[in-house]
Amino acid sequence: MPIITISRGTLSGGQRTAECLAQVLDYPIVGREILQEAARTLGVAVEDLSGKLQARPSLFTRLTQERKKYLLAVQTTLAERCTSGRLVYHGLAGQFLLRNLPGVLAARLIAPLEQRAQTLTALHHGMTQKAAEEFIQNVDEERRRWVKLMYAADVEDPSLYDLTVNLESISLDTACVIIAEAAAQPQYEVTADVKKGLEEFAGGCREQLLEARGS
Amino acid sequence: MAIISICRGTKSGGTAMAQCLAEHLHYPLVARDVVQEAASDLGVSEADLSRGMERTPRLWNRQSSERRLYIAAVQSALAEHVAGGDLIYHGRSGQVLLAGLPGVLKVRLIAPMEARVRSLVESEGMDSTAAEQYIRHVDSVRARWVRMMYGEDVEDPVLYNMVINLKTLSIPAACAIVTKTAEQSDFTATGEVKAKLLDFRLACRVKLALAKARDTRALDLRIEAHGGAIDVFGAAPALSSGKMGEQIVEVARSVEGVEVVRLKLEWFDPYP
Repeated sequence: MPIITISRGTLSGGQRTAECLAQVLDYPIVGREILQEAARTLGVAVEDLSGKLQARPSLFTRLTQERKKYLLAVQTTLAERCTSGRLVYHGLAGQFLLRNLPGVLAARLIAPLEQRAQTLTALHHGMTQKAAEEFIQNVDEERRRWVKLMYAADVEDPSLYDLTVNLESISLDTACVIIAEAAAQPQYEVTADVKKGLEEFAGGCREQLLEARGS
Repeated sequence: MAIISICRGTKSGGTAMAQCLAEHLHYPLVARDVVQEAASDLGVSEADLSRGMERTPRLWNRQSSERRLYIAAVQSALAEHVAGGDLIYHGRSGQVLLAGLPGVLKVRLIAPMEARVRSLVESEGMDSTAAEQYIRHVDSVRARWVRMMYGEDVEDPVLYNMVINLKTLSIPAACAIVTKTAEQSDFTATGEVKAKLLDFRLACRVKLALAKARDTRALDLRIEAHGGAIDVFGAAPALSSGKMGEQIVEVARSVEGVEVVRLKLEWFDPYP
């Protein structure tokens, strides 16, 4: 069974699916708390790291040393969690941070805007459907822009993922079953070689981070 | 019980996948059969029907009555199969021909270009540059067709229930995932779903009858069936004889199973 990354727009049910998978597969689960760990490693406040990392980058600032260092710290923290070959990750940019690594299953969840807005209005009484839809569209747009600038990719491009599941007529429980079934396929077996690859990746990340911190 | 529609680019493993699913689920397999059936129903050759239907439409002729007739015939042939429940369809445009139907699991398969080129080089002995050009050409022709006819982007994951990338996953693995999905309650054909499949078949039969009939074939109509009641939507010319409505009702009523025809048309003046 591989490491599973779950990408999704806000309020698309990603967290619940991740929790379900972690329970079914008896895996550890990590989400946005990866940022806290990375901040601790660097000795900065998490708000600082998160703010700098996710602030809308302008063309001139996207590759500043600082941003690179923060991103590397997140990647290293995640890579270290991955060496056991068992993890459900539903935090920032899993599909990019662990791209092309063996033993990783990248899943994406999509859901209709209307459905996502209903989830939001149920959480915030008094919020109108229209306001909820606007909020979600803004968050989506921010993320799309971020991914475009950081990775020159379209976050919605299905070729970035092994599996895209549309929650329009598939329940979260079924999505969990589907992703677990995909994870059970032989292509994702975490063999000794795969583990070695994951350890080397973590080692490489650590080295790059050291370098970035030194400069 | 489920209806599975598989959409993919050429040489992306769709046929192998459909066969694997048919073996596991023991569902009938339908692909170009619907084109053959439509052609024989209309008394034209399969090649003519394919050409007429698939030729990239221009903006001004995408709704020609011939094309509408061909598409209605293919959709109706597919609806006959679908009404039986279990089915694997891997022919053209399942995601749009079956759009809006409940109980349909719409799967898209994607594969990296290198793998698709390799597959074509192996099967046809082409050189890889020609193979890639061919694949890109077919992809773009199909994408344009779907965009012109339905205003949809064939690659948009929103059109499908799931998209499986064959970059890492193999065909047997993809087949296992889809089999598992089809077994989930989300795709169980409840009584309500079965009734909708029968409604869909009746609506397709009526649409085909209207596309065939001399007096109504020029009209671009949308049909809904609710039991034996038929709703007809679209725009029609308000003829001074007042006969157009009668003609539509008459053609629709000639289809077996139709009890009531309700016209919900927008009438326009043909000689403004």
